[in-house]
Amino acid sequence: MKISRIGAWLTLAIVATFYIVPMLAMTRFAFQRVPVIKLSWGNVFQKWTIQPIIDSFGSPDFQRAASLSIMLAIATALATIAVLLPTMTFAHLGSPRTRRLIEISAVLPFVVPAIALVVGFAGAFRDTLPILIRSSFGLVPLYVITALPFTHRTLENGLAALDIRTLVNASRSLGASWWRTIAFVIAPNMRASIATASFLAFTVVLGEFTIASLLLKNTLPLYLSYAQGSNPQGTFGLGIVLVVISTVFVAMSNRFGKKVRT
Amino acid sequence: MAGSSKRRARHLVFLPYVAFLAIFLGWPGLYVFRSAFAKGTAERSPMIEAVTGQFRGSFVFSLQLSFISASIGAVIGALVAVAVVRLDTVRGLRSTVVGYSAVAANMGGIPLAFAFLAAFGMQGLATRLLREINVDIIGWGFRISDFWGIVLVYLYFQIPLMTLVLVPALDGLRRTWAEAAQSLGASSAQYWRLVALPILTPALLGGFLLLVANAFAAYATAFALSSGGSRLVPVQIRFFLQGDTITGKTNLGYALAAWMVIITALLVTGFQLLMRRAERWRR
Amino acid sequence: MNRNIEFRDVAKSFGSVKALVDFAIRVDEGELVTLLGPSGCGKSTALRVAAGFEVCDSGDVLIGGTSVVALPASKRGIGMVFQNYSLFPHLTVHENLEFGMKVRKMSRSQRTARVGELLDLVRLAGLAERYPHQISGGQQQRVALARALAIEPQVLLLDEPLSALDATVRVEVREEIRRIQRTSGIATVFVTHDQEEALAISDRICVMCDGQVEQIATPHVVYRSPATPFVARFVGKVNDLAVEISASSRVRLRGHAFEFSVPQSQVQSGEARLLIRPEDIRVTSSAGGEGLQGRVDGLQFGGATTSLDVAIAGTNHVVRVSDSTRAMQFGIGDVVSLVFDMERALLTRE
Repeated sequence: MKISRIGAWLTLAIVATFYIVPMLAMTRFAFQRVPVIKLSWGNVFQKWTIQPIIDSFGSPDFQRAASLSIMLAIATALATIAVLLPTMTFAHLGSPRTRRLIEISAVLPFVVPAIALVVGFAGAFRDTLPILIRSSFGLVPLYVITALPFTHRTLENGLAALDIRTLVNASRSLGASWWRTIAFVIAPNMRASIATASFLAFTVVLGEFTIASLLLKNTLPLYLSYAQGSNPQGTFGLGIVLVVISTVFVAMSNRFGKKVRT
Repeated sequence: MAGSSKRRARHLVFLPYVAFLAIFLGWPGLYVFRSAFAKGTAERSPMIEAVTGQFRGSFVFSLQLSFISASIGAVIGALVAVAVVRLDTVRGLRSTVVGYSAVAANMGGIPLAFAFLAAFGMQGLATRLLREINVDIIGWGFRISDFWGIVLVYLYFQIPLMTLVLVPALDGLRRTWAEAAQSLGASSAQYWRLVALPILTPALLGGFLLLVANAFAAYATAFALSSGGSRLVPVQIRFFLQGDTITGKTNLGYALAAWMVIITALLVTGFQLLMRRAERWRR
Repeated sequence: MNRNIEFRDVAKSFGSVKALVDFAIRVDEGELVTLLGPSGCGKSTALRVAAGFEVCDSGDVLIGGTSVVALPASKRGIGMVFQNYSLFPHLTVHENLEFGMKVRKMSRSQRTARVGELLDLVRLAGLAERYPHQISGGQQQRVALARALAIEPQVLLLDEPLSALDATVRVEVREEIRRIQRTSGIATVFVTHDQEEALAISDRICVMCDGQVEQIATPHVVYRSPATPFVARFVGKVNDLAVEISASSRVRLRGHAFEFSVPQSQVQSGEARLLIRPEDIRVTSSAGGEGLQGRVDGLQFGGATTSLDVAIAGTNHVVRVSDSTRAMQFGIGDVVSLVFDMERALLTRE
């Protein structure tokens, strides 16, 4: 039972280094106009500039990709809430077995890797509903499914903290319809989990590559992989920005998540 | 009668959700499997061809990569979890580590590949720094785009995933069990051997399986690191279905995808069952 | 070999908090002594010091006449039962019971025989192959008790073993504990905050507050002759009335004329509090006009006994009185007379 504290700190220090180095390297590459070979202790603090990333922001390709990704992210978040909130509310009103079934269904996406999902999707709808494949917004249902395990768990935490049955009974007995109940009674009480689930959906969409790549949709991650050749520094800079944004999102989710649990 | 019709109506509310899953998860899945078993003009079922023919190497490569990155990641992730729980009294440490683990575990794809290229590539910062202290990893044959390079990159999200799985499990190790063991005469070593490790085993094993599944399904990172990544099954599927489609042979791509689903399903189910067992003991 | 445990002036602080101050008590073979008090009184700390999970700052703990403070918990010859999560979840009941024996390298046949004995002792034969999560909370604690006894310890320590159980199960299990303890004759230290429990099963009770011992005596004495106001208030129910003492050792309820006479003046004069148990007050209908007059404001029917809340006219005082239901044939609104048995009352400053 005696694990030394020194050993513990050492472990954490070593692992932390492993995590910082790549991020540092990416930042340095993106923002410092000194090739690695020429890098020396003398010029370590020279020639730092954010010009490359400004160039990237200015590129019309980037702007198209970024706006597509953001729209997809918003659509995914909305679709997730629209599909999950009513379903899970009803699940909580039903038997524990129903709830369990929904829980299991939410883990199913883990079982189907993105690559398998997208080739199946493309193959299945190519002849029957090609619009799903042609339109960029055909990605949204796939993204909802990809994010499902995480968003489901978040909303589950939020619902579990409330007494759904009482809320619904009270609201219905006052004459509200099911839709009003969900929108105006349940949802406001779950602001934190809904926000968290939305953040998670956002993070997933902004980082998702596989599906977009195979369906040839020009989202932000795809832009990053293509633009790498023409503007390496700017692209890497964008990469760092994406990492920072994802970190902030997940950190905020954690913060919100904690609030829900109390 | 009234009761059962109301129950049926109750269940109807789940129709949209079930339909959604059926259309966008079920149907693609079914399509993959149907195509995977369709022989077409080939003599053997694509499913068999996929694992015996030229792709056998891909599966082996993918599984090797997954198992090795999972093993190393599991060990290091476990050590981090133990360290975090041991330093429980340090305010803010646990939330920082667990929080960052949540970020890193979901990190993947392009930015991660970029970061490691920038650090450990031929022109990488770390490569350069190591050369300063006379450690020439390029001279040793290390390439970020090869097997061990990809393992290194995968560790970035494998380690935190294991930490996230194990920290709650370690929390679940009740202090009373350690004290009970002591009061019954057990030494520290005996406690670990007879009580702590057996109790932690489901989480350890489950976490390991999760890591394997995680690595096995990964696509973007390997794709971005190119050359080495192209031998991985996910990337092969893509080449297959985007590149030349020799009629009759497309189904091989679906067979590869179907095998991926089967393997991932087994791993994830194993993980779930083990975590259920670990949960049960925590009560 | 004397199977007893003795605490000698044990002191323990956690930072600036004094958990135990000069704690001293001896529990002899065959005795069950309860450490009773509210949370934070030091009772669990004392137990954990005895077990070896905490190190005391000063003082000594002797088991069987030998000091054990320098010994690790694994070598003290104690048996311990915890409030919950006692049993190892990954082992069956049988494996849990034989754990201590396995550590001592007893042979398989010896272990199996003893496990059988233990299961019979706690009357749970047939559950040997179950896992802890498959048996009820009460059964788990009985197995935990058996497991602690498996290695034939010199002393048995129980840390609030019933607190996590349902009310009905609690009574069952505590009877079991008492029976088993009597049968095995082992010195036992029992920790609880539930005074009813303590009164029911102890040979002696040690009432504690803020790390100090308030009283050590048999349940009967602790109840009938509480040594301090704390004990009077903590054990059993008590009326806590604001009174004034006049110079001639007569006591009045604050704001009321009626005077009681105090047998011995524990407090000389001025303001004080009168502590008296509901069953030490006699109630009669107010025919004669003697005694303290009041009106029945509330009634709690408890089956065999009944309690009345009697409001004293012209004051805020409400006195609770209880007696057998047969003797309490009153209803709400009745005017009654109260006679206090001042021999059984306690006067105190605060």
